[in-house]
Amino acid sequence: MTTIDNASRPTTVSFTWPRVTFIRFSMLAMMVLIVSSWIFVLNVDGAQSHSFLSVETFNRFKDFLGDLLGIGSSTTSAFAQWSEWRSTGHLAYQTLAMSVMAIGFAAIFALVFFIFGARNMMMGEMAPYGSWFWRGVFFFVRGMFVVTRAIPELIWAMLIIFVLSPGLLPGAVALGLHNAGILGKLSSEIVEGLDQRPIQALRSTGAGRFQVMVYGVLPQALPRFVTYLFYRWEVIIRTAIVVGFVSAGGLGTEFRLSMSYFHFTTVALLLVWYLILVLAVDITASYLRRLAR
Amino acid sequence: MTSMTSRDSAQKPRLLESRRVLTLILLAAFAWSLLNLDWTEGFIHSGGISAMGEFASALFSLDLSADTLSAAVSASWTTVAYAVAGLTLALFIGIPLGAIGSGVLTKSPWVRATGAGGSRFSLAFFRSIHELVWAWLFVAAIGLSPMAAVLALAIPYGGILGRIYAELLQDVPEAPLQSLRSTGASEWRVFWYGRLPMALPDMLSYTFYRLECGIRSAAIMSFVGLGGLGHEVRIALDDLAYQQVWTYLLFLIGLVVIVDIWSTMVRRRLSE
Repeated sequence: MTTIDNASRPTTVSFTWPRVTFIRFSMLAMMVLIVSSWIFVLNVDGAQSHSFLSVETFNRFKDFLGDLLGIGSSTTSAFAQWSEWRSTGHLAYQTLAMSVMAIGFAAIFALVFFIFGARNMMMGEMAPYGSWFWRGVFFFVRGMFVVTRAIPELIWAMLIIFVLSPGLLPGAVALGLHNAGILGKLSSEIVEGLDQRPIQALRSTGAGRFQVMVYGVLPQALPRFVTYLFYRWEVIIRTAIVVGFVSAGGLGTEFRLSMSYFHFTTVALLLVWYLILVLAVDITASYLRRLAR
Repeated sequence: MTSMTSRDSAQKPRLLESRRVLTLILLAAFAWSLLNLDWTEGFIHSGGISAMGEFASALFSLDLSADTLSAAVSASWTTVAYAVAGLTLALFIGIPLGAIGSGVLTKSPWVRATGAGGSRFSLAFFRSIHELVWAWLFVAAIGLSPMAAVLALAIPYGGILGRIYAELLQDVPEAPLQSLRSTGASEWRVFWYGRLPMALPDMLSYTFYRLECGIRSAAIMSFVGLGGLGHEVRIALDDLAYQQVWTYLLFLIGLVVIVDIWSTMVRRRLSE
């Protein structure tokens, strides 16, 4: 790496080499990270009673698959009973409701704040809000997006369960908060990338801030926003089960209980419902996305 | 992210109608979801408000003792190590399955259909299950090995990477590939000397973007007992030690922000 660097340095044009060097540095840092991460992981793994790459792992895996499918079990498998299908189906319905609620909360949050997180609306020559106050609002809103986004849904749920009573709501709020940060950032970036000409035209006619919002920004930004909404919904339905581990509601709670009671055929049934939900949401979202265009 | 262009300038009245329908659908769906809540009882449980107050005030009395800080640093490293190791393994799933799934490796229609269909199906299956669910299944199957966390991260991330790689490999401009073919190169050679080098910057860029998500995913692996920042948050919450919770949360936020900035810088330079 270094020899190539030294050899090429005199010949390259002076202003291009920092760019190359940064990428090279990043790749090198990534290599170092990869190697040390694997050394760490394999070291910890080596301290176990048996390492991952052993016959023992394979056998355990085989046994676990057998447990999931109810092979060699004396009790009737959960997925062979219609009543089990019905009760877990109700949980799947709740999880679906939780995901819709979550994307709704995230959308409301993002819709309230996204305009204040758009750099071009809050500062610069285009901004009607040119003052230091609005600049402060911009950084505050962007900071809020960063913090809500950086904390994973499950950790939000762990925190929220201290405040809200167990049920669908804490899970939906946890999912909503994390996705609010993501949606907020994405929708602010939509506004930053908007075609400025219609907005300028509106301003030149003397339109006020509110009018510029309603007639200039929203019509351009909303279709794109709705597309992101569906894209995030696909992610949320996958995560709704995970949030349910702590928030009491839907498939996740039952998954956790069945795991700790070793009811593995119920776990298998819950996974089937989970996959059905994910598939259904993926199909619905891609259909509705077409409506938004 | 493609930049927003004036896609609406040529919109037709019919489209406007379908949008109105869509708005109604969305509002109705949200209302339906709210109906599933139990409105008869309060949503905030007794002591919830005071817990929130205590939690908020704990931010101003952070636990910065040496013990907590060293625990935070080592948990951060565990989280990063899981994320990076998981992502490298995800590459071994994503690259081959993505290449096969793009259907560009061969001209034979029969092989192409089965190969692409099969690998696309498995990629979709891999990414439809959340990494923590994978992790729990692995822990139940093979016990508390860090390899369970790494595998659990690698499978859904491999599924996402493979899908994006397949799309990027398909979207490569045709002209340079045609010139390779005219020299008599097989589709396999065209892939190695044409498609892959052209798609590589975008593939790399997307992988770096995924690293940030990987950090967050790795942080919650603790839920099934695999260590990392989430583990510390959880223990501190069980002890009601809110000051420590904040310290670990700030470490997590800092980690995600650093990786985010790094990956944004790399991606900006890759796309130049």
